[in-house]
Amino acid sequence: MWRVSGAIGLLVPAAVLSAIGVVLLGRVGVAVAVLIVPLSVAFVLWYPRARYDRWRWRLTDLAVELDRGVVVRQAEALPYFRIQQIDVNQGPVDRLLGLASLQVTSASASGSVTLPGIAADQAPGVRRVLLARAAAAVGGRVDGVQDAV
Amino acid sequence: MSDAGFSAPRSLHPASIVLGVPLRQLIQGLVFPALIGAGAGPGPRFAVVVVAVILLVGGIGRLLAWQRFRFSFDGEVLRVDEGVLSRNHRALDVARIQQVEVDRSLVARVLGLATLRVETAGGSGEAEVELRVIPERDAVTLREALRAGKDAVTGAAAATPGGAVSGVGTADTTEPRDGREVVSMTLGRIVLAAVSGSRLLVLPAVLAASLQFLGDASELGGGSLDPETLGRRILALGIVGIIVLLIPASVVSATAVGVLRDWDWTMRRVGDDLHVSRGLLSTRDSVIPLARVQLVEVQRNWVRRGFGYAAIRVHSAGGGDDDRVTIPLVRDTEVDGLISQLLPGVAGVPMLRSHPTGARRRAVFRWVRASLVPTIALLAFPGLVGELRALGIVLPLIAAGLGLVEYGQLAHGRTDRVLAGRSGALSVTTGLAPLVKVQGVTRRASPFQRRLGLATLTAHVAGPGGDLTVLDLGEDAGRQLHAELVVAAADPYLPDIVSRQRRTVTPGQLW
Repeated sequence: MWRVSGAIGLLVPAAVLSAIGVVLLGRVGVAVAVLIVPLSVAFVLWYPRARYDRWRWRLTDLAVELDRGVVVRQAEALPYFRIQQIDVNQGPVDRLLGLASLQVTSASASGSVTLPGIAADQAPGVRRVLLARAAAAVGGRVDGVQDAV
Repeated sequence: MSDAGFSAPRSLHPASIVLGVPLRQLIQGLVFPALIGAGAGPGPRFAVVVVAVILLVGGIGRLLAWQRFRFSFDGEVLRVDEGVLSRNHRALDVARIQQVEVDRSLVARVLGLATLRVETAGGSGEAEVELRVIPERDAVTLREALRAGKDAVTGAAAATPGGAVSGVGTADTTEPRDGREVVSMTLGRIVLAAVSGSRLLVLPAVLAASLQFLGDASELGGGSLDPETLGRRILALGIVGIIVLLIPASVVSATAVGVLRDWDWTMRRVGDDLHVSRGLLSTRDSVIPLARVQLVEVQRNWVRRGFGYAAIRVHSAGGGDDDRVTIPLVRDTEVDGLISQLLPGVAGVPMLRSHPTGARRRAVFRWVRASLVPTIALLAFPGLVGELRALGIVLPLIAAGLGLVEYGQLAHGRTDRVLAGRSGALSVTTGLAPLVKVQGVTRRASPFQRRLGLATLTAHVAGPGGDLTVLDLGEDAGRQLHAELVVAAADPYLPDIVSRQRRTVTPGQLW
């Protein structure tokens, strides 16, 4: 279920964006538009699917890990011990499709991990799991704890 | 412990009604309305009225703000209440403090006042708490009280004297109150630092531009001396003259600024804190707990590299851009010793391994790509002189050369305590991030990188100082380093570092 809804969730914004792009470019010249339209349609059909296929997240023993990116591949990891904040976000499209995205933030400004397209009713559960693991990672060494920052 | 009478709410010094306004804000707030008033209204008299009204309203606002502002410190929590219309109450846990600074501007020094700035690892660049201004004596006392409070909470010094072990050795309990001097700058070094500073890296460009003009001017002089040619020639010579004058002027002003800012630059180690003081007219004292150092960067621009010098920047998680602490100039031979002071348990810059040869192609590619836009602009733009077109052809070659130079510098290394990465062509930066401070890891590879078997790895650290990026290391090395860093970040358990921070942290209190 996450698969299908996730793909839709990524497809919709992409379609909206490319529609705007086509409208703007159509003014420049019909010739350009004729070229662009099939290309962008193909792109819209292919890219979200590819992006979705590449988007993988998992909870390992130590960290939240996320692999993503079609052109530029990225592998991100955020250890539970470093989790500072977990946000559940729902945009209008997300609400329409019953989805939510989870943003896990560390103390670093740039090192946050986003997990999009989680079914809305499951997002709080995922968050609870993450919080529990974060608490366990910190509480596991009460005898000599190191600050996370 | 010693709260030194700060437990009762206090207000700022009355002078803060005037001194609390930053100068820039004052000028912006006055000059623009005055100009608009003068331009739109009926003459300069109106502008005077506008300025007077603004001063009056602003003055009343400041008076109310001063009246409302209260701060207190009870040994654990620093509280600040402020705001005229919308009230704002802040409570800052002493254990979360990243950096404390005491600033004295020239006026404040004359009046015996100071600004105390307390920074936590918040996302914004602004200081978390700014007490502007309070009597200098209070600022120093409060800083000491904050430190004592922190020690009491972390239990490092007071509760377990035997456990007060730092990474380099036992913290000396008989240490003098002023601490031990780590490094200080002589006047000669400050001048040298200012002259070789990064702002002067534009010098070659300015010189080249002026030579270009000179070339044009001499060409123009060859023909007949009709008035128009003569005029252009004089203009060109004038521009060259201004540029020639500007260069020494910029050297002098950079030196003056550097000397004023870094006069008597001293870094001391007091307990587990680093104290940095600097400045001639307006002085600044910064305190960074050693345990809060997130990233250390050794920077060598091409001038400094030639003379065997470097600058060292210390990033903590707090504070804005200019609040980082930079050691202006040190000899190359002193770098390792200083790093072992800044990062306890780290002997110096670790052994660095250079990157696979594929990285050379990508370094060249990256530089050439960066030069592409100006090159195309120079070649395609109609009506340019021949020299400029030639420059367009030479530019990618220079860029390729810089790419080769950068490949020679690309390297990374790690020990069980620190990750180091080096990059840069003209200005080479070696970053060192303690593994216990790594918050997360990202590895990325573009198609081009994948084909060459490369990856770029970023170790995220807290604070505005940015992250440590290892550019273009081998794919397998990257994967291995990624896995190792995740383990290190997830479990930063290092026996002798932990022993000095005996403290239980509840999940809600991660900072």
